[in-house]
Amino acid sequence: MSTDSAADGSLDHDAPVVLVVDDEANVAEAYALWLPDDYEVRTATNGERALEEADEDVDVVLLDRHMPDRSGDDVLERLRERGLDCRVAMVTAVDPDFDIAEMSFDTYLTKPVDQSEIRETVDQLLDLSSFDDRSRQFFSVSRKIGALEDEKRASELSDNETYQQLCERRDELSEELDAAVDEMDDDGLEAAFRDL
Amino acid sequence: MSTDVEPAGVVDDESFFRTLVEHGSDAIISIDADSTILFANRSVERVFGYEPAELVGEPLTVVMPERFQAAHHAAIAEYVETGERTLDWNDVELPGEHKDGHEVQLSITFEEHRYDGKRVFSGIMRDVTDRVERERKLERQNEQLERFAGILSHDLRDPLNTARAQVALAKNADDPTEYLDELERVHDRMGELIEDVLTLTKQGQTVGEPEPVSPRAVAEEAWQTVGSGDATLSVEDVGVVQADRERLRSLFENLLGNAVHHGGDCVTVEVGPLPADDGFYVEDDGPGIPAEDREDVFDYGFTTDDGGTGFGLNIVESIADAHGWEVTVAESEAGGARFEFAGVRLGADDE
Repeated sequence: MSTDSAADGSLDHDAPVVLVVDDEANVAEAYALWLPDDYEVRTATNGERALEEADEDVDVVLLDRHMPDRSGDDVLERLRERGLDCRVAMVTAVDPDFDIAEMSFDTYLTKPVDQSEIRETVDQLLDLSSFDDRSRQFFSVSRKIGALEDEKRASELSDNETYQQLCERRDELSEELDAAVDEMDDDGLEAAFRDL
Repeated sequence: MSTDVEPAGVVDDESFFRTLVEHGSDAIISIDADSTILFANRSVERVFGYEPAELVGEPLTVVMPERFQAAHHAAIAEYVETGERTLDWNDVELPGEHKDGHEVQLSITFEEHRYDGKRVFSGIMRDVTDRVERERKLERQNEQLERFAGILSHDLRDPLNTARAQVALAKNADDPTEYLDELERVHDRMGELIEDVLTLTKQGQTVGEPEPVSPRAVAEEAWQTVGSGDATLSVEDVGVVQADRERLRSLFENLLGNAVHHGGDCVTVEVGPLPADDGFYVEDDGPGIPAEDREDVFDYGFTTDDGGTGFGLNIVESIADAHGWEVTVAESEAGGARFEFAGVRLGADDE
């Protein structure tokens, strides 16, 4: 992955491609503005348009949940049906509920977001693309747990089976990853996940 | 119960025990295995409103709300037959029924002894109505607080995010006016949201001391604030209702404001009495509310309009609830919206 512009000033064909989806045009535009100039940013202000803009080249999608006509949840499902393996961040004012456990996104941002949050998230998701499936799952599951822990009371969490299952899944993946890391002695991977 | 080590003195004096039982602050009722009352102490009068003599010989169910009677008979039959206790015998909280029909919250301890060869069951009952009501009130308040925290966090997130976006775009623009105008609009919206949540919080589920109020006068007052242009308000005499004047005004402001907002400058709004004379209606000749939305309009957050906060009718409903009125939505003859408030006690309009 390169973040440098090509010498002729056009976008590097290796430049990250980010698709920003929000029904408020100004919001989508602001996210685009917050990302580095040399990223290729596509914007869509509704779900239908988002599906048109999504293709194999898209690396990361920033996806609003609550949109008229076609919701972000629906867009996410369609993307996965089409076999598009892009990384997806839900960026939304919708409080996460336990149903997020079943959704195939990588991370969950709650509005309001700012520039550093958007940039960090996109860069993290771009990095994630180079990791194996198990690492990505670990990331996604950890983020779901984090989103629920921010939203729900401790008593609600401890009573909830879905949440317990997510935690078990995270611990399993963590053990598997630890074993893999020991084998490879890969400090980079360990470092990458230390602060998740 | 007798043992060899009982000291002499008061324990031999039967009147000591009689006085203790009769004048204890807890109500005590003893029944036989058929649930017929054998004994009731003086305190039953304070708790249940019956003289002890009125109760003796009666079935226990006279002091029990109907919905618990079948369970009581089943429980006692089960216990007499098998010795199995279907509920805890210590400090059980159950409601009793007062002579005048209202329910009394009781904390009950059950005892059993033999008298004259028969099984006798006694309930020692403490009136905990005040405590239970305090607890319920606290619970309601907690639920409400939680709801408002949810509303605030959730509904301010979106406009705050939009505001941040406008700032980012304004900073980057040669002419930021457009973005600043939008920013102003977003800030107004957040302000309205906060106002509405405050209104709802203050309305709560209770009203102040109701006083006789003329809905006609209050509706006309509210119209001064929210009426506009060529819109017309026509008010028939509705008489006088028992209401919290300020909240009734808030109810009319929301309804009349909605009618003007959705019905346009030339809308006609009418306020009048219900045919059954048990309330009043507010209707307009605007576009009306589609039948499929009528169930949802009172839900918090329901709005068909980007500028609306979706609180208006939620406020209307909470004010109606707090007065004990029943509010329904229908269609006016002109095809507009019609809100009916029933269960309102009306008197003649002396104002």
